Amino acid sequence: MRMMHAPQRGKAPSTAHVMRWVIAATLPGLAVMTLYFGLGVLSNVLIAALWAVAAEALILRLRHRPIWPTLNDSSALLTGVLLGASLPPASPWWLIGVGVIAAVVVAKQLYGGLGHNPFNPAMVGYALLLVSFPTHMTPWAPPQPLWPDSLWPQIMGTLPTSALDGLSGAKPLDALKHKGDAVLASEFWASSPLPEGTLNAWRNIALAWLAGGVVLIVKRLISWHIPVAMLGSMMLLSALFYASDTSHFGSPLFHLLTGATLFGAFFIATDPVSAATSRQGKLLYGAGIGVLVILIRNLGGYPDAVAFAVLLMNLCVPLLDMVSVPRPVGQATARADERKSAP
Amino acid sequence: MPAYEFPGGIYPPERKERSNQAPLRPAPLPSEVTLPMSQHTGKAAWPCVNVGDTVKTGTLVARRDGMVSANVHASISGTVIEITDSVIIIQGDGEDRWATLPPLDWRTTERDALLERLDDSGLIGLGGAGFPAYIKAQVNEHHAIDTLVVDAAECEPYITADDLTLRHYAADVLEGAQLLARLCGAAHIIVGIEDNKPEAIQALQALLTVIADSEPLASVTLKIIETRYPSGGERQLIKKLLNREVPSGGLPADIGVLCHNPGTLLAGLQAVRDGLPLVARVVTLTGDAITQPGNYWVRVGTSVDALLAQVGVDDEQLHQVVVGGPMMGTPLTSLDTPVTKTTNCLIAATKEELPPAPAEAPCIRCGACESVCPAQLLPQQLHWYARAENDAALEAHHLFDCIECGACSYVCPSAIPLVQDYRSSKQRIRYKRIETAKAEHAKHRFEFRQARLAREEAEKKARRQARLAQQQSASSDAKGTQAVPVADLRSLRIAQTAAKAAVRKAEKVLARAAAQDPQQRHDDLETQLATAQENLKAAEARLAEARAASEQKEAP
Repeated sequence: MRMMHAPQRGKAPSTAHVMRWVIAATLPGLAVMTLYFGLGVLSNVLIAALWAVAAEALILRLRHRPIWPTLNDSSALLTGVLLGASLPPASPWWLIGVGVIAAVVVAKQLYGGLGHNPFNPAMVGYALLLVSFPTHMTPWAPPQPLWPDSLWPQIMGTLPTSALDGLSGAKPLDALKHKGDAVLASEFWASSPLPEGTLNAWRNIALAWLAGGVVLIVKRLISWHIPVAMLGSMMLLSALFYASDTSHFGSPLFHLLTGATLFGAFFIATDPVSAATSRQGKLLYGAGIGVLVILIRNLGGYPDAVAFAVLLMNLCVPLLDMVSVPRPVGQATARADERKSAP
Repeated sequence: MPAYEFPGGIYPPERKERSNQAPLRPAPLPSEVTLPMSQHTGKAAWPCVNVGDTVKTGTLVARRDGMVSANVHASISGTVIEITDSVIIIQGDGEDRWATLPPLDWRTTERDALLERLDDSGLIGLGGAGFPAYIKAQVNEHHAIDTLVVDAAECEPYITADDLTLRHYAADVLEGAQLLARLCGAAHIIVGIEDNKPEAIQALQALLTVIADSEPLASVTLKIIETRYPSGGERQLIKKLLNREVPSGGLPADIGVLCHNPGTLLAGLQAVRDGLPLVARVVTLTGDAITQPGNYWVRVGTSVDALLAQVGVDDEQLHQVVVGGPMMGTPLTSLDTPVTKTTNCLIAATKEELPPAPAEAPCIRCGACESVCPAQLLPQQLHWYARAENDAALEAHHLFDCIECGACSYVCPSAIPLVQDYRSSKQRIRYKRIETAKAEHAKHRFEFRQARLAREEAEKKARRQARLAQQQSASSDAKGTQAVPVADLRSLRIAQTAAKAAVRKAEKVLARAAAQDPQQRHDDLETQLATAQENLKAAEARLAEARAASEQKEAP
């Protein structure tokens, strides 16, 4: 008997369509970020996207895979955009290149390409850069006018002068992290440790990411499970920390609106390839990320932790997929017992 | 009453209005029919006519072979012109002379006679699987059945055959339901229908009040459910109507339910009340390339090509013809194919209507398939294992709980033909099961041969003994030479009872296996059943022989 595809297919958006919509949904976040931190943000994204497409084309050629159909799925482009958006504005071109190559070539294509990568490519690139080039990754320029002093350092491959001039740890999370145990949080914030408007800037950027994420959920391009579970567990755990010691830990709202929380929840953690797949698995996966983010932020050595939390949970995905098998209709239990039927 | 929910499901465009506008009408009589020997679950039927024989409409042309099989009847009158391994071809004489069976009143006729009639008329489930109806009607010998579900959901897009059947024959369908409820001992009948068939619902509602007054054998309830694919799946509908879950690997009968399609019920009633064998069925002819879409009474064996030509098809627009619905149906590779007892719909589709699937992209593990799966499986994991041919993992992830509804393929953003993967994996595993049990099967065939020889021997002896007894009673002076002790007679009687029980058990095992997986070959179980039947015949022969001998002894 000849087996054939069911004749009818739904109007389900194609993978490429989903990817492009996710790229489109980053626009509000990128726009607001550019508004506060200047064109260095956009140039980051642009350079990262170019690197990503070039790296993907090159590696596909080396792997003897069709180049155009794969580039057309826009997944490399999306990785570039997400990584570019995570880097300090006007980062050196080579820094972006290293990150993107780690993401697209190593984390994705060397594992077999789209659909086969166990780790979130953009976060692999980001984590590599953060660990390898802390001096380039940590300084974040204070809010500045749309037209930065110069994009020249980026092209020359040096650190932007504004970053050198600015406070080290000008991101709110860095600031809180480095305030020292002797200083109470209330005193610390009273001393206005950040340049004027920094907190506002980060809050508005976070809300812009949220807007993009809501669009994705409303359009059913991502499911709500991961963002809701991640934000929920973050809020819960940070509330516990905050309740235990208000003088040293950030409030839930602070954690929600600073750092990469909302960007991560809607654009990073929701990468389907490296996330758990069942609905129950997605909830566990999201919740795990949230818990890890707060633990690392509050107790660990890094001010922000979305990248690490996502990568750590990527590691857990095979396990999550095993424990979150839904109970098939008519089965007494949910677990797929492979031992039973294994030869 | 509330409707319960089954998980998952999708809302594909219904496109039913194309075929449900025109009334049900007969298709023109075909000039030639090709009757496949295998239109049903189980073994192919065995031709019992010869080339050149003249047949009438309703003449038996092929007999069922084994238990899970079904008779095939001539669907037009004429001459048998060709018999091959798989088909009988009849050239029509254009007169349509009928050979019907004697009408029966299902209320007064004995149960066994009714079952025999269902068997004789070649009735099988018309919804798709084609399971022999006479076996299904006997299920209450092993399971208590309380509810007969009439599956009128017809959830697949395009198809309106059940809808039109109900509009035109609502009373007959419900009477057929009473008939089958009587056979299986069900006290309740529930009709489940999707809310997109207002006219059929109206016809049913009008009848319900009449029926309630007439004190029917089984109470009848109508349940209107939300239109959501695949609510017409047996398991989904039972969950929705009764909130009962059919156990994995089990049958609805395990939870006291039997499901029948309205077309089957109508055909069952016609077989009993009018003595009409199953020679015609309602087929939805639809699709944008058809000029006169609608539902037609089509004779089994009519060629699809001829049928489409008769109702008018736009050859330039025609891209593909699909048998069945767009979700679970199969595109035809050749139009020179007959309509069978299970052909419920033919879609003559244009390219815009059912475009070819785009090239497959890699799975991105998005989980869209999982959220629509009505069986709550993990289609995406199954996909990986199917591609890796990891059969142990496939079975551990309950591949055989998949009902092949196609919801996963429908929503897949990467256009992966998921159901196709599952079907071929199932086929591979089915084949492997047969292969691994090959030695066992050889043993069973050997046992069958032994049993047949023993039976022949026993029958020979019994005949000889009977002859002897006759001679003796004629010349009453002879002496009883072969005295049979009474105890021996008793043990033979016990052996006969045991053999009878063995036959019943073999029947039950086979019926169950065939209903669970209609696509698996059950030749081995058929062999075992045949062995048990041979053993029973042998035991009966031995008993007859001993009886004759003991009478002979007592006679002088």
